[in-house]
Amino acid sequence: MTGDTHYDMEILAELAEGLLDGATAARVREHLAVCDPCGESLADLAAVREMLAGVPVPAMPMGVALRIDKALGAEAETRRSGGGLKLDEAPDWDRIMADSPWEAMPDSPWETAPEPPSTVGEPPLRAVPVVAAVEEPPRPSAPQVPEPQEVVRLGVVADDGTVVPARRRRASRRRSWQLPAMASAAAAVVIGVAGVSAGLLSATGTDGGAGNGSIALPVPTTAAPSAEPSKDVATTGPAHPGRKYVIASSDFNYSDTVLRGPLNTYVGAYGPGSTGDESSDPAVMRCITRISEQVGDQLGLRKNPNPIGVDQAFYEGSEATVMAFWKNRLHNAVWVYVVDDNCRNMRPPSVSRWQ
Amino acid sequence: MNPPPDSPPAATQHAARSALSDADLLTSHIGGDPHAFSEIVRRHRDRMWAVALRTLGDPDEAADAVQDAFVSAYRKADSFRGEAAVTTWLHRIVVNACLDRMRRKSIRPVADDELVEAAERDTPMPDQTGERDVSMEVTAALKLLPADQRAALVLVDMMGYSVEDAAQVLGVPTGTVKSRCARGRAKLAPILSHLRNRSDLTRVSSAKGAELRDG
Repeated sequence: MTGDTHYDMEILAELAEGLLDGATAARVREHLAVCDPCGESLADLAAVREMLAGVPVPAMPMGVALRIDKALGAEAETRRSGGGLKLDEAPDWDRIMADSPWEAMPDSPWETAPEPPSTVGEPPLRAVPVVAAVEEPPRPSAPQVPEPQEVVRLGVVADDGTVVPARRRRASRRRSWQLPAMASAAAAVVIGVAGVSAGLLSATGTDGGAGNGSIALPVPTTAAPSAEPSKDVATTGPAHPGRKYVIASSDFNYSDTVLRGPLNTYVGAYGPGSTGDESSDPAVMRCITRISEQVGDQLGLRKNPNPIGVDQAFYEGSEATVMAFWKNRLHNAVWVYVVDDNCRNMRPPSVSRWQ
Repeated sequence: MNPPPDSPPAATQHAARSALSDADLLTSHIGGDPHAFSEIVRRHRDRMWAVALRTLGDPDEAADAVQDAFVSAYRKADSFRGEAAVTTWLHRIVVNACLDRMRRKSIRPVADDELVEAAERDTPMPDQTGERDVSMEVTAALKLLPADQRAALVLVDMMGYSVEDAAQVLGVPTGTVKSRCARGRAKLAPILSHLRNRSDLTRVSSAKGAELRDG
């Protein structure tokens, strides 16, 4: 490496980083003193650092931030429910499952012999029996309708391929999210309905990480009857007894902070449970219909959407009805309306997180 | 701390939390506080995003990597031992998520002359090249480097971390970081000088080079 020979970039870069031993470094420097091309190269190397440093550092785009919040929300849910389970309540199973293979296929595998999950196809949300998912290998011909003691719960395959079983209904005083028809047909299949403690804050607060074993397979069979295996396919009219949401009256005092979400442990979490449909205040029902029309218009829906949850409570100390509607289920976004007795907005409708 | 882009100014509870150190927040998280980890995310997500975006060179990949990393950090928070800073730990998880992604995609290392050819091919004509595009070119050139060199250069040259910090993040000795940086810069130098010439930018100061040359 003397005379007309030039040092290559790597040697020069190592010189610049102080990686060469003393003798070599001295020799290279000697060469640099007399060699213009190598001097140029060294300048180019220094320029690399400056150019790299000059590339602006962008902030995380909001969409990515929201996505991460959502993923972490799902993790939090897992933790809260004692590990392994993370699907929170999905209030409108009818809609979610409308595209499901068993709804489309005349010969539903669920009602006869369930296939292993891989044969179910690739709908956006695949419900698979958790038990089948962990069996190795799955046996399609095995008697898959278990004894009543071995109730299979449905789960949903998340984006990353993990099976996230629906959560089990914990007590009778719970929301009565409707079950799809297939669940009652295959009597053994129970969709666990998210049961979040009636204690508002404890639902998100003190349960964290508690592996208290409240969720375990198999689910006691008593969960089945309490889950109201009925499916209202006729109408979604708000005055119909088979209404798909529950009007709770929590007397909780909502604040703007809480209303930013996640709301599922508030508006969606509890209420009079499976009763009380007929006893609803007609004024409230009218108001729900009106707001539903607004939301339907806003979202450009043909049919006015049902709320996910309605809670007759307080907002900043005043009596209020809080309603949540899906804005974008995939993005975990809900519209939140807070109205007074006269169905007037007490605050501008806002978009909030559900989970 | 970066303000959260998606939520209005903090509530009082949030404000109280923001006074806590990262380590305290992580402890709270392990203890079951459902909001502590969100605060950690809010504090560091922009930097994590920058690292992932620069390392992977692709926003979609970077989004996946950062999400994987945060979820992973959430899950294994109790494996954090407190010997390193929480930020270092987070960086390490993010960088590893990026490296995993690159390995899975099996991006092969490229020979030097291929690098120059690729740069030739991808470089817009000089009159179309402005300052903004130089950043894009730099990003594109980085993508041609082997993963370990790229990760080192992102941390040291782009993010401005010390070699010692980068070594902690990458879990290698400082000498290894220096050597990866040196090799990476050596590969980038012909490409970037080429870009500089073509884009007719003012030549970046060579004071440092002169200083080295003159001893």
